[in-house]
Amino acid sequence: MRTSLRRLAAPLAALALLLSTLVPAAAEERSRLDIVLERGKLIVAALSPTPPFAFTDDKGQLVGFDIDIAHLVAEALFKDPTKIEFVVVNSEGRWPAIESGRADMGVGGTTTYPDRAVRVAFTRPFIDSGISILVAKKSGIKTLADLNSEKNTVANLNNPQMADRAKKFFPKAKVLTFDTPSAEFLAVQSGRANALQIDTAVAEYFANTNKDQFDVLPQLLTPSQNNGIFMKPGDFKWWLFLDTTVGELRSGSWYPRYAEIYQKWFGKNPPPQKFYVTP
Amino acid sequence: MTSWAMLESTVTLLARGALVSLWLALASLATGTGLAVLLMAPAFSRFGLARRAYRLFVWIVRGTPVLVQALLVFYALPALDLRSGPYVAGVIVLTLYLGALIAEVIRGGVLAIPRQQWDSARSLGLPPGALLRRVVAPLVIRYSLPAYVNVCVMAVKASSVLSIISVWELTFAAREIIERTLAVFSVLGLAAAFYFAMCFGIDRLGRHVERRLTPGDFAGERT
Amino acid sequence: MLKFQRWLEVYGAGYVDGLAWTAVVALVSAAVAVGWGGALLGVRLVGGRPGARAVDAYVQLFRNVPVLVPIYIIYFGFPLVGLAWPAVVCGGLALVLQNGAYISEIFRGAHKAIDRVQFDSAKSIGLSAWHTFRKVTLPQVIVYSLPALGNQVVLLLKDTSLLSAIAVGELTMRAKLLTEQTGAAYEAFVVVAALYLALVAVFEVGFGLAGRALRWP
Repeated sequence: MRTSLRRLAAPLAALALLLSTLVPAAAEERSRLDIVLERGKLIVAALSPTPPFAFTDDKGQLVGFDIDIAHLVAEALFKDPTKIEFVVVNSEGRWPAIESGRADMGVGGTTTYPDRAVRVAFTRPFIDSGISILVAKKSGIKTLADLNSEKNTVANLNNPQMADRAKKFFPKAKVLTFDTPSAEFLAVQSGRANALQIDTAVAEYFANTNKDQFDVLPQLLTPSQNNGIFMKPGDFKWWLFLDTTVGELRSGSWYPRYAEIYQKWFGKNPPPQKFYVTP
Repeated sequence: MTSWAMLESTVTLLARGALVSLWLALASLATGTGLAVLLMAPAFSRFGLARRAYRLFVWIVRGTPVLVQALLVFYALPALDLRSGPYVAGVIVLTLYLGALIAEVIRGGVLAIPRQQWDSARSLGLPPGALLRRVVAPLVIRYSLPAYVNVCVMAVKASSVLSIISVWELTFAAREIIERTLAVFSVLGLAAAFYFAMCFGIDRLGRHVERRLTPGDFAGERT
Repeated sequence: MLKFQRWLEVYGAGYVDGLAWTAVVALVSAAVAVGWGGALLGVRLVGGRPGARAVDAYVQLFRNVPVLVPIYIIYFGFPLVGLAWPAVVCGGLALVLQNGAYISEIFRGAHKAIDRVQFDSAKSIGLSAWHTFRKVTLPQVIVYSLPALGNQVVLLLKDTSLLSAIAVGELTMRAKLLTEQTGAAYEAFVVVAALYLALVAVFEVGFGLAGRALRWP
C-alpha cells in the first residue's frame, strides 16, 4: 500500500478521536466492599515473583506470605479462605490492575510511599520492610561504597523510587531495569548484573536459597518501611474494612493467625502484638 | 527436588501453558473470523465513508505492533469488571488484530475471483443470498485458505506477546520457571518445541485441508 | 487535543529518544538481516542437498516459534555461557535471526523468478560463476524482492516493540516508563501508536521510492 505522508493527518486525528471515546466513565458509586460481597469471591492482584511474599512454586501454585494474608482477608469476608482468585501482575501492572477494577486489592511486597499514595491507597502495614542490596559473592562488593563504581551493574525494578535510590547511593554504577524481582535475580545469577536492589525479605530469601553465592549488604538503603495491602483510592468503606482487618492481624484478635503465617515464611516470631502485652 | 521430578513438573507446566496459548489462539481466531466477516460489509460497501472507515481500521491495526495494542487495551481501557481480566483483555486484543488480518485475507480472496466467474454467477440469476452462499463463499474459501492458515499460525505466535501483559500462557510459564531454576536453554527450548509443534501442526493441517478442498489442477503455490 | 499538546511539550523529549532507538535498531537489524538472509540463500545455492535441507530446517524453526522466545533465550541465556551482551544487541540478534529466515525465503522466491535461460546464456558467453552472480543474479534478485522485502522490514520494525520486554529504551519501553511515572497510560500509548504508524508510513514510502529508483530503465 503506497502511503503518502499527507494522508497521515486525517487518520491520526481519527485515531485520537476514536480513542478519546474510550476514556474511563465516571467513578462507580457502589463501594468495592459491596461488589466483592455480592460477587462472593475476592480478586487479588499479586506482584509475583517476590519470594517469600508471593511466588509460584514448582507445581505452578501461587504461594507466599502475602498470599496467605490475602487468604485471611477472604476468610474475613466469606468465612472461607478459598473464595479468592489471584491475578499475577508485574511491577508496572500492579497499579492498572486495581485502578481499572480488574482486581479488588493488591499484595506482593509493595511498599507504602507518599508519592505512590497520590494514586494508590494503602492499609496500615502488615509487615515491615526495607530495601537492601543483594550482591554476588564473587563481585567482592562488601559495602555500599564499593558498589558505587563504574565496574558494577545493579539490577533495579522499574519503579521511580528505585531509580531515585540508584542515583542517590550508587550513581556511578550501571543500572539495568527489570519488571519482576526474580528477573533481577536471574540477571545477577547469570552474571549480567552483580547486585540487585529489592525488599530486604526478598533479598534474604534469595540469599538463603543460594547460600554460597550471594550476600546481602548489611546497610539498608532506607529506614524501616511499611508494606501494606494496596487498593484504588477513594473508596472509604473498602479501605476501612481492609485496614481494620490488617490491624486485627497485626495487633488484635487474629494475631495468632498472623503469627502462624509469619513463622511459616520467616522462621521466627513476628513483632510483639503490643509492647505491654507479654506473649 | 530430584531432577526427574523437576523435569516432570516443568514439562507439565509448559504443556498446560501450551494448551492455554492454543486456546487463546483458537478462541481469538473464531471471534476474529466473525469480526472479519462482519467487516466485509463496510469493506465492499457502496458508501465511500464505510470503505474508508474499514481501511482506517485495518491501517491502524496493521501499522502498530501487537504489543502496543495489547498494552493499550490492558492499561488504558476502562474497568472491564470481568473475572479473568487478563485473558479477556488478551482475547479482545487478538480478536481485533486477527480480525483485521483475516478481513484483508477474505477481501483478497474475494478480489481474486476472476471476472468471468462473477459474470457467469450473475447470469445464473440467483438471488443475492444464495449467490453469496453457493457461489461466492466456496470460491473465497478456496482462494483465501493458504493465507488464512498463515494467520492461524500467526495467532499462536501472537499469543506469546500476551505474556507481557501478564497473561499466563506458554511464554509466561517458561519465564516463571527459568526465573526460579535458571535452566534457560532447556526450558525455553522446550517451550520452542511446543510452539513449533502447534504451529507446524496447524500448517500441515491447513495444507491437508487445502488439498481436500481443491480439486486436481487448481493453481496457486503456497508460499 | 489541548491535553495532547501539553503532554507532548512535557514528555516529548522522551518520545524522540524512543523513536530514535526504534528507528536505529530497526534499520541496523534490517540491514544485518538482509545480509544474513543473503548468506542463507548462498548456503542453499552452493550447499547442494544438505545445504538446502539445513536452510529449510532453519527457516521452519524460526517461522514456527514466536520471536519472543529467541529474544529471551539470548538475553537470559547467553550470560550463563559467558556472553553478557547488552540488551539491544541480544534483541537485535534475535530479530536478525528471525527475519533472516523470512528474508532468505523472499530471496529464494525472487531467485526462482529469474528465467533459467539467463543462466545458460551467461555460461555460453563465458561468464564465471562469480560474474554471473554479480551481473545477472544479484540485480534481479534485488529488484524482484524489493516489495516483499519492504513488507518484511515493516514487520521487523513492529517487532522492535518486543524489545521492551528486555528493557531496551525504544518507543514501547518509553510508553511503559511514562505510564509508571504518571499513571496516564492512555496518553502515553496513543502517542506511541501514532508514532509507530508514522514510522511505518515513512518506511513504506522509502521502500516505494527505492523500488522506483531501482526499476529497469
